[in-house]
Amino acid sequence: MNKTLLVAKWEFLEKVKSKAFVISLFLTPLLLILFSVAPTLLITAEEDETKVIGILDFTNEYFDQIIPSIESIKLKNNIPAYITQNLFVRGLSKDSMIILADKKALDKKVEGYLLIENKDSLIISYRSKSVGSFKLISDLEKVVNDINIKKTLLSKNVDLSIVELIKNRIEINPVKIKQPGEEGDSEFLSTFFSSMIFILLLMTMVIYSGQMLVRSLLEEKSNRLIEILVSSCTPNELLFGKIMGLSLLGIAQILAWILIGIAAVGTTLVSYSSFENLPTILLYFLIGYLFYTSLFVGIGSIVSTEQEAQQITSYLSIILVLPVVFLLSAMQNPDSTFVNILSYIPFTLPTVMMIKANLLELSLLEHLVAISIMFISTLIVVFLSGKIFRIGILSYGKMPSLKELISWLKE
Amino acid sequence: MLEVKNLTKHYGEIKAVENLSFTVYPGKIFGLLGPNGAGKSTTIKSIINVIKPTEGQILFDGKPINYQYLNRIGYLPEERGLYKKSKVIDVICYLASLKNIPKDEIITRANLWLEKLGIADLKNRRVEELSKGNQQKIQFICSVIHNPDLLILDEPFSGFDPINQQEIKNFILDFLDEGKSIILSTHQMDTAEKLCSEILLLNKGKSVLQGSLQEIKKNFGGNHIRVSLIGDTNFLDSLDEVISYEVYSNFIEIHLANNISPSNFLKKLVEKTSIEHFLIIEPTLHKIFIDTIKNEKSK
Repeated sequence: MNKTLLVAKWEFLEKVKSKAFVISLFLTPLLLILFSVAPTLLITAEEDETKVIGILDFTNEYFDQIIPSIESIKLKNNIPAYITQNLFVRGLSKDSMIILADKKALDKKVEGYLLIENKDSLIISYRSKSVGSFKLISDLEKVVNDINIKKTLLSKNVDLSIVELIKNRIEINPVKIKQPGEEGDSEFLSTFFSSMIFILLLMTMVIYSGQMLVRSLLEEKSNRLIEILVSSCTPNELLFGKIMGLSLLGIAQILAWILIGIAAVGTTLVSYSSFENLPTILLYFLIGYLFYTSLFVGIGSIVSTEQEAQQITSYLSIILVLPVVFLLSAMQNPDSTFVNILSYIPFTLPTVMMIKANLLELSLLEHLVAISIMFISTLIVVFLSGKIFRIGILSYGKMPSLKELISWLKE
Repeated sequence: MLEVKNLTKHYGEIKAVENLSFTVYPGKIFGLLGPNGAGKSTTIKSIINVIKPTEGQILFDGKPINYQYLNRIGYLPEERGLYKKSKVIDVICYLASLKNIPKDEIITRANLWLEKLGIADLKNRRVEELSKGNQQKIQFICSVIHNPDLLILDEPFSGFDPINQQEIKNFILDFLDEGKSIILSTHQMDTAEKLCSEILLLNKGKSVLQGSLQEIKKNFGGNHIRVSLIGDTNFLDSLDEVISYEVYSNFIEIHLANNISPSNFLKKLVEKTSIEHFLIIEPTLHKIFIDTIKNEKSK
C-alpha cells in the first residue's frame, strides 16, 4: 500500500480509538446545544408569576385606561401577568412621590413602575431595580402605544369603531424566494441556529483536532519517532498522510454527529426544514476543515514543548474564532459589501458561506468562485506547510523566529 | 556497502560536519565515536536520508541513496519512545508496514521477534504499560523487523540490564554473520572496543582519528602499564617518563613516553614505593578517546 495511505490509516485509527475522541464525540454536541439553545430558551420562556406594576401618572390622562389593558394580559395558565398599583399620593410634591415610588421598587414591593409625565411632550419611563426583562417592556410599550393611538384618533373625532379596527396590527411575513414562484424557508431563528451550529461545530472540530494533531506531532518529535518515520517514508508522505487521516477523522465525526442529530431532532427546537441546505453547508464545512488542518500541520511541526504547543494552538484558535465576531452582522445583512469581502478571504470564507448559503439563494457561479478560492489557497497552505514541516519536525529546542521561518520557506 | 564521501553539513553559520569520508563494509561494525555535539547525529541523519548534506555524497552499493534505499535501512535512535497509548503489536505493524513488508508477513515476523525477545505475552498491552527495558526491546524489534541491510544503532545498550545487553549483542553479532553493515554510535568505549573493527572519532564536526581499531592502537604509540601500588600516587607527576596516568580504585594506568621501556620504569617505581601488581597492557579505546580529544582541545 502507498505509504501516505498507511500513515493516514494509522493516524485515523489510533485517534478514533482514543478515549478523548469518543468523549468529544458525544460531549461536543451536548455542550453546543447547552450553550446555543439553552439561553434562548430561557429568554423566550414565559414567566409564570404575576408581577405587581406601579403606576405614577402625573398627566392623569392614562391611568384609567392603562390599568384594564395591563391587567388583561394573561400568562399561559390564564392567570393575569400583571396587577397594578397606583402610586399617586395626594398632597405630596412630585419629587417626593418619585422618591417614595423608587423606594417601593427598590424594596421589591413593586416589580417596577411606569412614570408618566408631560414636559414638552409625553415622557414615559419604566423605573425598576432591574430593567432586564424584554417581555415586560414590550408588553408595556404595546399597552401604552395602543392607548396613545386611540386617544389621538378620538381627539380628532374619529369614530370609535374605526379606532378599534386600526388597533389591529399587521405583521409582515418574510418570504425567501428560491425559484420564481417557489418559496424557501424564512424562519430567522431556525436559520440562525442551523448556521450557528455548523459554525460552532467547525470551530470546535478544528480546534480539537488541531490540538490533537499538534500534540501527536509533539510526541513523535520528543521521542524521536519522527526520525524513524522519515527514515521510512518521505516528509511529504508523512504530511499528506496526516492531513488525510485527520480529514477522515473529521468526516467520521460529522457523520456520527448527523446520526446523533437525526436521532435527537424530534426533541430539539431545530426543524428539518432549516437543514435543507445541508449538502452545501457540509461542503463548506469540509473545505474549511481541510484548509485549517493543513495550516495546523505546518505550524504545529515547529513546537518542541507542551507550552509552545498550547501557545500555538491558542493563536490559531483566535484566527478561527475571528469570523464569529462578524457572525451577527453577516446574519443581519448577508449581502453587504463587508460580508462579501469576507466571503473572498480564505480564513473567513467557509464560515461566511455557511451563513450566506442559508440566508440567500446563491448562484452556481458564486459557489464555484468560493470553492476555487478555497481549493487554491488550501494548495498554497499545503505547499508552505510542507516546507515548514520538513525542517520543523527535525528541529528541537527553541521555536524558530519569524526570520528563520521565512528562511525555511525559501529553502 | 555504504560509502560516505566528503560529507559536509552546515546549519547557517554552524558547521556541524566537515568533509567526512568513510566506508562501512558488510559483515563489519563501524564505530562512530565522539563527544557530545561532535556531529555524530548529523552524520547519522544524513545517512538515514533525514537531512540533505550541504555537500558530499552518500552511496549505498555504489548508487546514491534514494527512496528505495529507505526500506533497506534500520535505525535505532538514541532517545527512545513509541506511541505510548497504542498497542505493542499495532506499533510494530505500523512501523514495519512503512518499510514495505507485505501485510501477511508482518504479523508472522512480529510474533517471531516478540518470541525471540521473550515478550510475546505483552503484544496486546499498551506501550505505556510496559517496563522501560521492554519498551526498548520493542523499539529494537521495530528497527530490525524488515531485515535491513544497513543497521544504524545509536547507543543500543543504554537502558538495558546486563542480561538484556548480552542478548541484544548476540542479535547484533547474528546480523554480522548474515553480512549486514552496522554503524554503532556510542559513548561506551569498552563496548565499541569489543565490537567495532573500524572506528571514526569525531570532534567538532571533523574526523580526528579514523581507521581499523588495531591500527589505531598501534599508532597511538607509547607503552601502557597497569600497576597497583601502596601509598600516595602524587609522585608520578614529577616523573619525566610518565606522559599521563589515570587512577582507578584498584589500579593505576600509566602512559609511558615512547622511548621508555616498561622494565626500566618498574625498577624506578620499586625505588619509590612498594608494588603489588604490574602489567603491560594495550592502550584502551577509552584512553585513546580521552587523550585525543584532550589534545584537540589544547590545540
